[in-house]
Amino acid sequence: MGFTTILDIIASIIIGGILMMITWRLSDAATEKTYNNSGELSLQQNLATVAQILENDFRKIGYCADWNKFPDPSKAVVFADTSNIIYLTDIDLDSDMDSIRYYLGPTSELSATPNPRDRLLYRVLNHESPLASNLGVTQFKMVYFDALGDTIYPPITVAGSITSIEINLSVESVAAYDQKYSSAFWRQIRLVARNLRNR
Amino acid sequence: MSGKASLLLIMGFSLIFLVVSRNFGDVSNRAVDNFIDYHTETVAHDIAVSGANIAANNIFMDPTWDEGYDDVPFQNGTMNISVEILDPYKNIRQVTSQGTYRGYTHTAKVTLAPSKFSKFAYYSVSEGGTIWWTESDTVWGPFHTQDYLRAHKHPVFFGKATTKRSLIYYTNERTDKPYFYGGYEQGVNLPLPTNAVDDMEAIADDDGFKLSGHDTVYMTFDRDSLRYRYSYNAKNTVVYLPSAAPNGLIFAKDCVVRLNGVVKGQYTLGCSSNMSAGKGTIYLDNDIVFDKDPRIYPTSNDLLGICAENSVLITNNTPNQSDINIHGSIYCEKGGFGAEKYDTRPKSGNINLLGGIIQNTRKAVGTFDSNGLKTGFAKRYKYDERLMVASPPFFPGTGGFEIVSWYE
Repeated sequence: MGFTTILDIIASIIIGGILMMITWRLSDAATEKTYNNSGELSLQQNLATVAQILENDFRKIGYCADWNKFPDPSKAVVFADTSNIIYLTDIDLDSDMDSIRYYLGPTSELSATPNPRDRLLYRVLNHESPLASNLGVTQFKMVYFDALGDTIYPPITVAGSITSIEINLSVESVAAYDQKYSSAFWRQIRLVARNLRNR
Repeated sequence: MSGKASLLLIMGFSLIFLVVSRNFGDVSNRAVDNFIDYHTETVAHDIAVSGANIAANNIFMDPTWDEGYDDVPFQNGTMNISVEILDPYKNIRQVTSQGTYRGYTHTAKVTLAPSKFSKFAYYSVSEGGTIWWTESDTVWGPFHTQDYLRAHKHPVFFGKATTKRSLIYYTNERTDKPYFYGGYEQGVNLPLPTNAVDDMEAIADDDGFKLSGHDTVYMTFDRDSLRYRYSYNAKNTVVYLPSAAPNGLIFAKDCVVRLNGVVKGQYTLGCSSNMSAGKGTIYLDNDIVFDKDPRIYPTSNDLLGICAENSVLITNNTPNQSDINIHGSIYCEKGGFGAEKYDTRPKSGNINLLGGIIQNTRKAVGTFDSNGLKTGFAKRYKYDERLMVASPPFFPGTGGFEIVSWYE
């Protein structure tokens, strides 16, 4: 074994080390990107799902399959607060009015998830148990407007004055690589439930 | 040897990059798919809602319109609209609008019903001058005026309020803005018919009860009977209303009606005028109330329309000097609802109205000073919620439709 061989070995070790470093960094970067991209995909899907559910439900405020049973839709909103709303609608089209409540739970309920800000967005149909799944909701905020388009500030004493609603929804990934949470935001600038304006 | 290792190294890295890039590409595709799905559903929804709006507008412009549309291109999608008559007797119509975009279809259904003036808690063509709605004024049902709505210190409107002309504040919006708890729309033109009371005659001839040829008719509803006479001291004639007026319409032609009593069932009284002075006016000589007050008996079917070609006035007499109770929807085609000699009669208590007032011109019922009521009546008007879905028989209609239900 001559001097050249020793040089070859040393050079091989250095090159091998560099390659291993590159591979390790590549693996780390690939893991991070994969984690983040998958997280963002889930995030977008969660956001679209929640937005579709909210739009579907909120557009039916005051609707009844038999309109004679609920002739004054202006009474459809029962309670309204920043992150809490109760309203009446015939969600199952059986001509009987149902009540739907949406509200945001506390962050402490999801202390098991790495994201400290995510919360459960609850949907309560009539007197059934509240339903929720962790979709990474961090903000569910509503702003209410009266017939002249002016903002109504909570506490709203006469819910019948509400004619349109702004819905703000923020969603974050429930877990993230190196705590770099992705976030997405959806806003329905003016959701007008048409039945609130009937007659 | 080193060449083979290099080849393996390159192939290994290439494989890793292929897997990673495929994964990234897949994630990107699914993200775009997610966005496109939401966009597709939103556009299909928008097309369906636009179609429903177009169809509703067509029906508002032409109440007989029922042609619909087939495969109309709209917003890069297609729109299909059909109109179905759900109830031929009540003329209830349903518009079904389907919006299709990139294979996704959304449906909106709109139900429309003929609009009757009886649904209003308050309607006026003219507010009778510069009269302000003030902080002590509350309207409990639908409101419409063809005139300006003049607001002073936050009047309250619990039903939907519409005006043809604009909203005027006494001082400014901050101090005078009305509380609209049922919504508000401006620029809504809803004129009062000019011959709706005259048109009742033919309906009364068909299957109702008609009185004609006298200047004055004294009428007393005695539950399901009607007592009437043509002079104050004359003897009453009694008819059993379900037989005499099966369609529920009682019509007094070209005369003055003096009315009171207790109503059982659903009736509309029409009183016309052939341009004779004072005719076509209904005087309320005493209480005119339902047999079963719906506030006490929620299942009560009693309804009354009091339709005068000119005015409906509270008579200045002894029985009306301590409150008057009125149950019914009052319609004054050319005049208004008011109190006879409102500015000289004594303080007469309250007008306890359960129903609505539809009038051409707002009239006064009393006068006030800083100590309160000076002459005439104070107003205690309560809307009969049943008028949102029911109306007295043959009560004048607006000639158009209104949206009663919207599903999307």
